[in-house]
Amino acid sequence: MNDMIQILMGMLGAFGFSILFNMRGWKLLLAALGGGLSWALYLVLEPLFPGEFTRYFISAFFVAVYAEVLARLLKTPATTFLISCIIPHIPGGALYHTMRYALLKEWAACFQQAFHTVMLALGLALGIVAVLSGLNVAEVVKRSIAKKKGA
Amino acid sequence: MNHKEVLSAAMDIGENMLKSGAEVYRVEDCIRRICHAYGASSVDVFCITSSMLLSADFPEEHRISQTRRIETYTTDLERIDRLNQLSRRMCSERLDYATFKKALSEILAAKRYSYLSEMAAFALIAGAFTVFFGGSWQDALLSAVIGMVLKATVYFSSVVNFNRVLSNLIASFTMSVLAFLAVRMGLARSAEMIVIGNIMLLIPGVLLTNSIRDMISGDTMTGILRFAEAIILALAIAGGYILAFYTVGGGAV
Repeated sequence: MNDMIQILMGMLGAFGFSILFNMRGWKLLLAALGGGLSWALYLVLEPLFPGEFTRYFISAFFVAVYAEVLARLLKTPATTFLISCIIPHIPGGALYHTMRYALLKEWAACFQQAFHTVMLALGLALGIVAVLSGLNVAEVVKRSIAKKKGA
Repeated sequence: MNHKEVLSAAMDIGENMLKSGAEVYRVEDCIRRICHAYGASSVDVFCITSSMLLSADFPEEHRISQTRRIETYTTDLERIDRLNQLSRRMCSERLDYATFKKALSEILAAKRYSYLSEMAAFALIAGAFTVFFGGSWQDALLSAVIGMVLKATVYFSSVVNFNRVLSNLIASFTMSVLAFLAVRMGLARSAEMIVIGNIMLLIPGVLLTNSIRDMISGDTMTGILRFAEAIILALAIAGGYILAFYTVGGGAV
């Protein structure tokens, strides 16, 4: 139940940000859906991958695939859904706790938390880059095959 | 279109894409394609988040170049989408300069959501993330109200042209003070949850993620600039929160 509420709230958050990013019409709902799905994936994978970094990587990978598929269907840049669906994963809580430890002058915990925040962002970025690089490779392979057929 | 106009048009599109938050490689790619479509034999373009350099060779002419300085940027995905479409049209139909100018000004004049809708979005985001991170519904309600005040603060900063650091500092301070006061007056249970919900509105998380993405994919300069900016903004947010903690938050947490 708690998980369902969290997923729903993640969707609302993604929806709200899509408005701030000036997305229109159906795209708003698709962004919210993508945000909800990626967070659901993050929760479902917990027993398999207890580490947050790994799950951030996997959900970012999912978001990137989702964004690329929608980009091709709707003929819009992939960034549109990439930025909006990733919203529930933005490490806001982690940043808050970093601040909190700095305030309490618990420097060891603060640095650890800051490092954790950057690691989460790194997980997200790697997930996205993995998909983009995969597509690049596919493009190169496709082109070289087309060339061979032509020759 | 004469050659100077080609460069201007390509730069206009690129500049506005960059200002709306498009990735650097997309902007560079767009500019390159447009110049080639209008007959440039070689094109060199280099963009970072704050400036753009373009120089192109056309047959039987001196090499010509243009630079642009980018001062402010936001995230406007609708605008990126439409600019992208316009650039494709330019490559395929080779529009003339007047048609291009008209199409561009239409895109730039397109409306964003109204102030009130954006305020509602702020409230929704703040409230939703307060519950998301484990706050109560009562906290969420208050968080939503503070989110609206946050929108007003951010708007004020943009009207008086505060830079992003100052703007974030003020916004973070205001919302933290309100969160602490609300808990003191017994209106909400957890200032922490309210602050986390509202921080989601300020946090440069997209910036941080994008900066790492830039670095991994080879746009090192842009990546480093964005990373540094994200860190500075995060420090400003922390600064506002800490200031609020020492002025009114002492007994409330």
